[in-house]
Amino acid sequence: MPAIEHYPIIMVAGLLLLAFIMPLLYIWKRNWCEPVAIFAISVALVMSLCIIYEVVQGDAFEEGYWMGGWEHFGIEFKADYLSSYMLAVIHGVGLLILIYGIGDLKKELVEKVRGWYYTLYLLLMGAMSGMALTNDLFNLFVFMEIVAISACAIISIKEDRECLEASFKYLILSAMGTGCYLLSVAMIYMITGYMNLDMVGETMALGVGEYPLNILVAMSLMVVSFGVKSALFPLHVWLPDAHASAPSPSSAVLSGLVIKIYAVALVHILFRAFPMEILKEVPMTDIILWMSTLGIIFGSIFAMVQENFKKMLAYSSIAQIGYVFMGIGLFDPERPEETEALVGGLLHILNHAVMKSMLFMIAGIIIYSAGLKKIRDFDGIGNRLKWPMYIFIIGSASMVGIPITGGFMSKLHLAQGAIAVDMPFFVMVIIASSLLNAIYYMPIFINAFLSESKHENVTFKPVPGSMMIPVVILGGLVLLFGIYPAPVIGVLESAVESLIQ
Amino acid sequence: MMETIESLLHNYYYFIAVVLFVIGFHTMLTHSNLIKKVIAMNIMDTSVFLLFVTIGYVQGGRPPIMDAVTPPAGVDYINPLPSALILTGIIVAISVTAYALSLIVKIYKFYGTIDADEIAEIRGREE
Repeated sequence: MPAIEHYPIIMVAGLLLLAFIMPLLYIWKRNWCEPVAIFAISVALVMSLCIIYEVVQGDAFEEGYWMGGWEHFGIEFKADYLSSYMLAVIHGVGLLILIYGIGDLKKELVEKVRGWYYTLYLLLMGAMSGMALTNDLFNLFVFMEIVAISACAIISIKEDRECLEASFKYLILSAMGTGCYLLSVAMIYMITGYMNLDMVGETMALGVGEYPLNILVAMSLMVVSFGVKSALFPLHVWLPDAHASAPSPSSAVLSGLVIKIYAVALVHILFRAFPMEILKEVPMTDIILWMSTLGIIFGSIFAMVQENFKKMLAYSSIAQIGYVFMGIGLFDPERPEETEALVGGLLHILNHAVMKSMLFMIAGIIIYSAGLKKIRDFDGIGNRLKWPMYIFIIGSASMVGIPITGGFMSKLHLAQGAIAVDMPFFVMVIIASSLLNAIYYMPIFINAFLSESKHENVTFKPVPGSMMIPVVILGGLVLLFGIYPAPVIGVLESAVESLIQ
Repeated sequence: MMETIESLLHNYYYFIAVVLFVIGFHTMLTHSNLIKKVIAMNIMDTSVFLLFVTIGYVQGGRPPIMDAVTPPAGVDYINPLPSALILTGIIVAISVTAYALSLIVKIYKFYGTIDADEIAEIRGREE
């Protein structure tokens, strides 16, 4: 493949550049916007698949990519296993959400702002790829802020009162997270004098004995900052409103991808910048473990009492991001060779991205077609919206963790990992949470198919194919990753191995 | 104890930055006025910027501007990197502030108030 070492920077710069051409295009050639955006993300998807192939097979990415050739001084992009995996997830799921969005946004957004939506979407995609790839703490901060602003903006672009308020709450809490992050970077820079993650890691290992307090404060600020941004349990307050009131494609991308990318960034920093000795001294992974456990249980309990379908899905996201953090928390620094839980947590990033964005799309389809938002109105819609509800069965089976779906595989790995580090209590947590998930997902489709229909006089708008096809593909992917997850797990095992070193 | 106080006095600028950070943090989370929240956000950002810039300062250092003359021996230059980074940080903070203020304008249009408690009350009444 020609010039493959330049693919990461071409991808990020291209998406960001194209984002700013989009509004011009919207003035000039209105109906080009959607195809151009889809083309851009498809190219990015192909590139990220090439990168992942090259990372696994070749050696083009063994050295980092220094911007402008400023070796050891400039910003470094580094495509390792974890970031290339995340790139493929972002662009794969992002492409399907975008295709779905074309139909949905025609109804949800006013004509005037629809071009801007693609600007924000491409900005978000470009900045998320940047966050996955960058090896520089300050560069990460800049990408984080682009993600934060564009994520808030794709909520507030639908100008109704709920969206604006939710978006403001999200912005303030995310600014708090950014403040903590920057303070933490300042602490790290104070000790090490570097911004580059690898060099920070090397220097920090030398300075552990000398500046333990600085490292401790930096680490806790880091966990708080990424915890706020990815809605770790007690810091989740912004999520339900923001994800439930946004337009459906935005909800799908926010719940499916945006909260995960912060978790990936935390994994990168926690394992590469901070020396293993400090993780052994401080029970940071235990704290993350307990926060995630509370999130898993309480997220599900809050989800049970919701009436609004999208709000229920949003609370369920809090529980599901708990699994990702549980994978980090179950990592035992005393026994770094037991990595199965971490693999399970990282695998859940993919599985949850696929299934949650699919469920939000189904919620969007129900709103698009029948205008129904409350769960109790869903009785009997299974006969009218057959395919969406069939796929919903797959999605909820995966949420519960029934075998042959993706959700089962990640829960299996987490449970095995919990046993490997002698913490069988957390297997119980996983089982209890599966039961709770079953309690609130199962009745929806049972009622949808078996209850008396109350919708004789509601007209169901036909759902366009461009909205149905992505949902069907994602449904297929849920089953595929449940039946044949071996390649993904292979990549993740190498990823964890290279992180722990 | 004495050592802690001494090191605090010696590094008073770090201390001030942290105090500012806590003021901003507290105001942002406890005040219900949205404009005050944005102001607090700026105080918090500024405190981090101050901390960052002071890290790069060298006692008695000169601005790191090279002229044609070779510098005399024994002259220290301050570290320019934190200052350069903070320029970027300020730009980021400005754009977040601008976006937050524009959201407040819209919120005022829809709710007729910029008080978070009143907004919650209005929304509670609707449901």
